[in-house]
Amino acid sequence: MTEPKEPRLAQGREHVVATVDEIPPGTHKLVPIGRHGVGVYNVNGTFYAIANYCPHEGGPLCSGRPRGRTVVDDSVPGDAVMVRDLEFIYCPWHQWGFELATGTTAVKPEWSIRTYPVRVIGDEVWVQA
Amino acid sequence: MTVTVTERKPAAERIAVRCVDSDVHPAPRRGELIQYIPEPWRSKYFLSRNVGEQIYYDAPDYAHTFAMRVDAFPPDGEFACSEPDLAFQQLIMQAGADIAILEPAAYPARIGGANHALNVALNEWQLHHWLDSHNNWHERWRGSICVAIEEPHAAAAEIDRLAGHPFLGQILIKAEPRPAWGDPKYDPIWAAATKADMPVSCHLSRSHHEELPMPPVGMPSYNHDFMVTYSLLAANQVMSMIFDGLFDRFPTLRVVFVEHAFTWILPLMWRMDKLYEARKPWLDIKRKPSEYVKDHIKFTTQPLDYPEDKTELTRAFEWMECEKILLFSSDYPHWTFDDPRWLVKHLPEHAREAVMFRNGIETYRLPTTVPALEGQVRVF
Amino acid sequence: MIDHDDGTRTPVIDASVHIFFGSNRDLRDVLREPFKSRGFPDYEMDWYGAPGGEYAAGTAGPDGQYPGSDPETVAAHLFENRGVDVAVLHPMSRGIMPDRHLGSALAAAHNEMLVSRWLEHPEYGDRFRGTIRINPDDIPGALREIAKYKDHPRVVQLGIPLQSRELFGKPQFWPLWEAAVDANLPVAAHIEVGAGIASAPTPSGVPNTYEQYAGFMALNFLYHLMNMIAEGVFERMPELKFVWADGAADLLTPFMWRMDCFGRPHLEQTPWAPKMPSDYLPGHVYFIQGALDGPGDAEFAGEWLGFTGKDDMVMYGSSYPHWQLNDLTVPDSYSAQQRDKLCWQNAAELYGIAVPVGV
Repeated sequence: MTEPKEPRLAQGREHVVATVDEIPPGTHKLVPIGRHGVGVYNVNGTFYAIANYCPHEGGPLCSGRPRGRTVVDDSVPGDAVMVRDLEFIYCPWHQWGFELATGTTAVKPEWSIRTYPVRVIGDEVWVQA
Repeated sequence: MTVTVTERKPAAERIAVRCVDSDVHPAPRRGELIQYIPEPWRSKYFLSRNVGEQIYYDAPDYAHTFAMRVDAFPPDGEFACSEPDLAFQQLIMQAGADIAILEPAAYPARIGGANHALNVALNEWQLHHWLDSHNNWHERWRGSICVAIEEPHAAAAEIDRLAGHPFLGQILIKAEPRPAWGDPKYDPIWAAATKADMPVSCHLSRSHHEELPMPPVGMPSYNHDFMVTYSLLAANQVMSMIFDGLFDRFPTLRVVFVEHAFTWILPLMWRMDKLYEARKPWLDIKRKPSEYVKDHIKFTTQPLDYPEDKTELTRAFEWMECEKILLFSSDYPHWTFDDPRWLVKHLPEHAREAVMFRNGIETYRLPTTVPALEGQVRVF
Repeated sequence: MIDHDDGTRTPVIDASVHIFFGSNRDLRDVLREPFKSRGFPDYEMDWYGAPGGEYAAGTAGPDGQYPGSDPETVAAHLFENRGVDVAVLHPMSRGIMPDRHLGSALAAAHNEMLVSRWLEHPEYGDRFRGTIRINPDDIPGALREIAKYKDHPRVVQLGIPLQSRELFGKPQFWPLWEAAVDANLPVAAHIEVGAGIASAPTPSGVPNTYEQYAGFMALNFLYHLMNMIAEGVFERMPELKFVWADGAADLLTPFMWRMDCFGRPHLEQTPWAPKMPSDYLPGHVYFIQGALDGPGDAEFAGEWLGFTGKDDMVMYGSSYPHWQLNDLTVPDSYSAQQRDKLCWQNAAELYGIAVPVGV
């Protein structure tokens, strides 16, 4: 598990975690809020914040590779395409996938990750965690 | 938590072993193994041609993960669990394993002599790169005597050669060669194992042709149905060992099935017992199959499979007498890793100590204490 | 009907009775040229024929007829001696033939025999139901055979061998399952007997003992079922029903736990099967419950049967006339509903069999 080296930010408060430029679309920043940290993701210009903790076995969710999800498409070779690239995060341990915007996924909505409210004010990204 | 280890010397203070991890996969760094492969096989087989990626039935996101925990790759670009110190940090210090059984997982060679040579190399490599006083200063690693079961006499000689090493805890075979393990041709191996009083662990491998599980119904399509049905290979091995009378021939033999899952042994014991009752006049074996299982065979807990309603798993644990047959394992650094702190919560309370460490200590003849490590996570 | 220990009576549907031609001569009388003059194996397997005999004592006919070949003998044994009300007959064929035309001709001969001698028997026909044998290696021929028999009022299912060169989830078999759905007939897979081109029974090759063979062989259904789930067969064909006619329902539970746990990470590889694997079981999967199945009369037998919804899947089957002739015993710990489902209700619903009045 990667450990952020900066001092931890207090939980239950809103923090400026980055400037908008620091987290370009398709990237994320791990900030030291709470026991495991919070990952702040820029998905096509919208920011989302999730707990760096997979509900399965506690893996470091934000070390996983964000990507899309696979859907059936009978018109292409292999019958499958990936859609909505970078909108999902997959745990680096067991590859459980979660939608960044909602923290959950279609197959079993009750398996979900903690998400946090994010606001952008000017060029600052605020997370309440 | 931060850990500073300034000297590679074991502490004088000792701590109780409360977590034995029965399945950890160290990998050689590039170029690290070849020096140990004996001639003529080194030149004739291993260096004679380039061999690329062999993967099919690929784990999710394989091109990026190689079926490993993504966070287990060392920063130097080498493979997951090639760096003993990083493995020590992640598995021993942060996950809380007290002793870990190392099971090198190398792709089997296609011919018997070459595969034996490869296994000899894996043994030498462990001795020099994981079990030596520099890398095992903390005394937490135990290695495996890897053998090619399809070469029974060479394998027995290798067991004889290395038995008695203080940091080699078991003999390691792969699950795929044919025929199944009860066949008398393998007897030299069980004889050497029992003479050395070491358990034989059977781990699944990846292979080709007749050394893939080839049932009479066809081949799975995806890693999903492939890995799920892989346990049937182990189920078949269990039935062979029992009905072929292996444990009557070798009454002190201990066998471990690693990473084959285990909940299937519950209904399989019923099935074998019913066959035994119905077919006694034609059977030579002396005891009920389920008795052989509980006295001779153990299964590792990883991967832990459970239903939506976890109380059903709890009931299954009771009915199979899980404290008699299970050994905790993590499968570090594979993607299917089970964290010990997560796993222990799923075990019935009365079985936790047995599964997490007592069975492991007994199976691998381990010490009950190890040098303490300041800052190590304690599982329970 | 049978009487239970608590004084209740229930009907009995025996969902698995195996029938045979009386002899090779008998079979060749029904075959037409050029198949009449072909070579093909007998019913008995070499390795793994059961030591001590494949069939239970007393099942041969009064004039030495092959067990399971004489309707009067079988009717007496089932209906008079064993308390069976309705029996589902499943003809065994003669091995998986490399020449699929021959295989189809053999299957068709068994179907003719099934219908003419058993389903249309003047006295007992109304208590027999039948399985039409089709050859998955010959899809066009199988489709013709289904079309021929699907409307027969006493045909209740299609029968295929358990052994195959490819798993039943794969698309080459989909036209067959679609035809089964159109015909409103379940598909029952059963170990094919005889010799033929099926591979060795276990994933490690040939077992040394018959007991290992008998213990393992039925478990091969799991390869098929897991593949059918991952291939999205039940997603694509929501009405398809499969019967694993060699039993081993107990193994379904641990393997479905594994299939579900492993399913989530693999959704990206199998988007055509978007649901949790176990969501595909209800109404799709059934099992014969035979002599080797279940934990016996354990106090948790009823509880175990509830796991994975197995109580809605199991159907009592004797496997008459085989040596492991299953006498119907219901564990004490079964609820009344579980007992009824096992003894007759699951089979009655699946096969559309009306139970005798008075239940």
